[in-house]
Amino acid sequence: MNSAITESPATGRVPLFPIFALLAGAGFLYFIFLAAGSHPEKAWLVFLVNYLLFTGLALGAVLFSTIMHFTGAKWSHSLSGVAESFSFFFPVSFVLFILLFIGQEHLFTWLGEDLYGKEVWLNVPFLFTRNLVGFLVLYGLGIGYLYHSLWFRLDRGGSDTFLKQFLVKRWKTGPTDPEKMKRRMTFLAGWFMFAFCCVLALVGFDLVMSMDPHWYSTLFGAYTFIKAVYSGFGALIILAGFLHLSSAQSFRLSAKQFRDAGALFFGFSLVWGDFFYCQFLVIWYGNIPEETTYIIERTMVQPWSLFAWIIFITCFIMPFILLLSGKLKEFPKFMIVICSLVIGGFWLEHFLLLAPNYLHSVDRFPIGLNEVIITIGFLGLFVVSIIAYFRQFPELLNSEAGEVA
Amino acid sequence: MSAETTSIMGLFESEEEALAAINDIKEQGWQVQEVHSPIPSDKISAALNRKKSKIGWFTLTGGLTGFITGFSVAIFSSTRWNLIVSGKPIVSWFPFFIIAFELTILFAVFGNVIGLLTQVGLPTKQEDTYDPACSGSVYGVLAGSKPEESEKLKDFLQTRGALSSSIRQTT
Amino acid sequence: MSQLTFEEINTTVLKTLERPTPGYWRIMALLFTGALVLFGTWGYQIVNGLGVAGMNTPVHWGTYLINFVFWVGIAHSGTLISAILFLFRVGWRNPIARAAETMTVFAVMIAGIYPMIHVGRIWVIFYMLPLPNQRFLWPNFQSPLIFDIVAISTYFTVSSLFWFTGMIPDFAIIRDRSEGVRKKIFSALALGWTGKSGQWLNYSRAYLLFASLATPLVISVHSVVSWDFALGVTPGWHTTIFAPYFVAGAIHSGLAMVITLMIPLRKIFGYERIITIGVLESVAKTIVFTGLIVGFAYGTELFIAWYSGNSIEQESFWWRAFGTYAPEYWIMVICNTVIPLLFLIKKIRTHIVALFVISIFVNIGMWMERFVIIIGSVAHDFLPNAWGFFAPTMFEFAIMFGAFCLFFFLFLLFAKHLPSVSMTEMKEHVHHRSHS
Repeated sequence: MNSAITESPATGRVPLFPIFALLAGAGFLYFIFLAAGSHPEKAWLVFLVNYLLFTGLALGAVLFSTIMHFTGAKWSHSLSGVAESFSFFFPVSFVLFILLFIGQEHLFTWLGEDLYGKEVWLNVPFLFTRNLVGFLVLYGLGIGYLYHSLWFRLDRGGSDTFLKQFLVKRWKTGPTDPEKMKRRMTFLAGWFMFAFCCVLALVGFDLVMSMDPHWYSTLFGAYTFIKAVYSGFGALIILAGFLHLSSAQSFRLSAKQFRDAGALFFGFSLVWGDFFYCQFLVIWYGNIPEETTYIIERTMVQPWSLFAWIIFITCFIMPFILLLSGKLKEFPKFMIVICSLVIGGFWLEHFLLLAPNYLHSVDRFPIGLNEVIITIGFLGLFVVSIIAYFRQFPELLNSEAGEVA
Repeated sequence: MSAETTSIMGLFESEEEALAAINDIKEQGWQVQEVHSPIPSDKISAALNRKKSKIGWFTLTGGLTGFITGFSVAIFSSTRWNLIVSGKPIVSWFPFFIIAFELTILFAVFGNVIGLLTQVGLPTKQEDTYDPACSGSVYGVLAGSKPEESEKLKDFLQTRGALSSSIRQTT
Repeated sequence: MSQLTFEEINTTVLKTLERPTPGYWRIMALLFTGALVLFGTWGYQIVNGLGVAGMNTPVHWGTYLINFVFWVGIAHSGTLISAILFLFRVGWRNPIARAAETMTVFAVMIAGIYPMIHVGRIWVIFYMLPLPNQRFLWPNFQSPLIFDIVAISTYFTVSSLFWFTGMIPDFAIIRDRSEGVRKKIFSALALGWTGKSGQWLNYSRAYLLFASLATPLVISVHSVVSWDFALGVTPGWHTTIFAPYFVAGAIHSGLAMVITLMIPLRKIFGYERIITIGVLESVAKTIVFTGLIVGFAYGTELFIAWYSGNSIEQESFWWRAFGTYAPEYWIMVICNTVIPLLFLIKKIRTHIVALFVISIFVNIGMWMERFVIIIGSVAHDFLPNAWGFFAPTMFEFAIMFGAFCLFFFLFLLFAKHLPSVSMTEMKEHVHHRSHS
């Protein structure tokens, strides 16, 4: 069993950063081209889907580190270091959020409609402001947490990248007591977790649920942040798996660490499934038309019902059957495949929730080359952020790096 | 177990001492028949080459049985009367899933208990070789040798740090 | 705790099983009388009908349902501690796992009595079971009330089996250190356990599987209980958040009950070195977490009630906060979400009296939450003409009092005659700490 973990693909130094940067740029240009075309709502829909998915991945992955720190877990120290790399996507996500508002007339289906009093909540200025403030707080807490975590992880000598120099200079004049830094780090971790739940719930309500302004589900906010945790843990496992398998990096995790991370991933697949079932059962059973139309359109009418089944099988049935026993979680290659499929399933899930609001008569399969190109662009942007992080702090790829906070 | 073996129980104060003793006894060519410990120990199981537990299969079988039973009971009973109740389909698998889920857990636990009893071999009569101190803090290593060598084995255990060793059983 | 040795653990726990003092018997007699009040009142109700309770149009679900949900909720955190925290390998669970699991078993028993009280015609309660009969009648498996029966009986069975299995090695410890009748009883209970390596290997695997199965069970049981309410269309009940909200609330109330039980237990039995302040502090920190979840649920429900634009839903939530039962509502909010925040202050969460007092407040608050949810929605639903009130009668209070007495009676019976701390798990905990 050990050989499967230590063998790595024979890759040379592939220039990942330029490739992904190119993909990101191409995707962005293509998006502008589409948005200026005859169906801008389709372009903005894909933008929103990708924005929500990748923001969720980044936040969920960083949440892993904050949870591990807050609960005092020690097994995950090096894995948390990798998880923190996703925080470099936070500023990118923030800019993307602001860009969302350029497409407001295409995105916000309720603009100009009579909302019978809901306008006091669903209006662009208020929506924009409250989510902006939420993200500022959330990302601020995340960056603050990262600052403290790096204080423990980085050794003050070593390679001198721009950010490292900046941090070391700050740390020279800051507090030197590890107990104090640890307390602050725990404080920030706790508030990050709280803000994570509140902000993502708000985002779920504002950017997904309200796109059909006449439908509501009380659990939708919590469902949104559980999705972020589940998919974020998956993204973390993918990254850790790639680093572990790469011969160009010295980062290695033990079989037990992969198994524990896989077990958490499995656990959250059950939580996600449960949250989905809770909503579906209550709405199905009550059979109240103002609640059921949304669900019927997405799960019982073609082509959306096909999506629903693919999502259910990919994001629940497949991980359940494959990850129920302990053994398969130890193989990084296997976990990378499973987690990638699950995240792909979540792309479809975000699309399924949003698309029927914009694409009213669907006579052919709604996903085509346009959607793929823009998604690859977002993926490029996501990967570029992570690579940038490790370029700034290469020592974090050494699994023994740093003291345990 | 050969025809004539004398079993000697050596009591050790800690897991490390017991493990060291086990390895040494095996090296000397004697058998290690059993180890009684107050808490489970992966290392001791490994040293005795214990095979992995089969209980999981009992549990899985129970779980699958429960899953099928749950749906069967619900579908059978709703098709007897064949009436549409509160607008739901007669065989509505979505709520029936809850019955299937609960019975999956219930029968899986039954399987677990059956597996536990059969694999652990409970209830059973307590062996004569058992020393009650083993449920306290002491690890009891039961080693077997030919009757002629039993004194040698007893002294050997003493040198390895056994708190006491006594001849427990002669076959 | 690192100075604890295996022998000290054995001795401390075995000392609690010595001959009970007269004081113990006096308390047991009182509690037993209280339990008799439960059964006596129930008997009176069987003879005189459900009308002796306060339920009437429009409120047909009263304190019997409130107490049912309350006791099932308390049961949940016992399984959280013994099963879920076991899976997460959390050390502070070990000293309290046994007592918590016991709390679960007895709380489920008490909870199970309530539907039997509530149906009135207890002599035809077998109608709820899928037994073949001449009229071809079967339970309606689509109904959440039938989900309840399946879920609660599964939960009771699984918890009891888990509880007993966990005690087998401890029974062996007691067997090995007692004489006479007690030795015979514990020999039978220990089933011949001698701690052989093969036995431990299989036992550990079975225990892990138990914990893995109990975890989804816990979540499903209280979700099923919540669906008793959420699957109907009553305003204030028909929301999708009920299942996770109830599960979080259940754990919240159960953890508070754990503190309420553990503080006297550790004082009377001298468990201070085993159930340390650190353990109680960890429970308190978890209560902060569950309290925040409950608060989040309250806030979200209010927001969505407004957002839905459904005037009936909005009226229902407004009435909960400002109507006839407003005092209960505000007690609920303050006791469940505000007071637990005091545990953020280290001095408070490490102070025995503060821990005890706050845990009582949380218990009261969680009982009020069930009151607000059940009575608050049913008394004030769709038609203004059908709005009404509910007040529990003294018979309902008597039954509630009797049920609490029965619970404490069973718990004290257990505590004095069976090991209230899992000696085996404590030893594993100590061993693990000294070897890591």
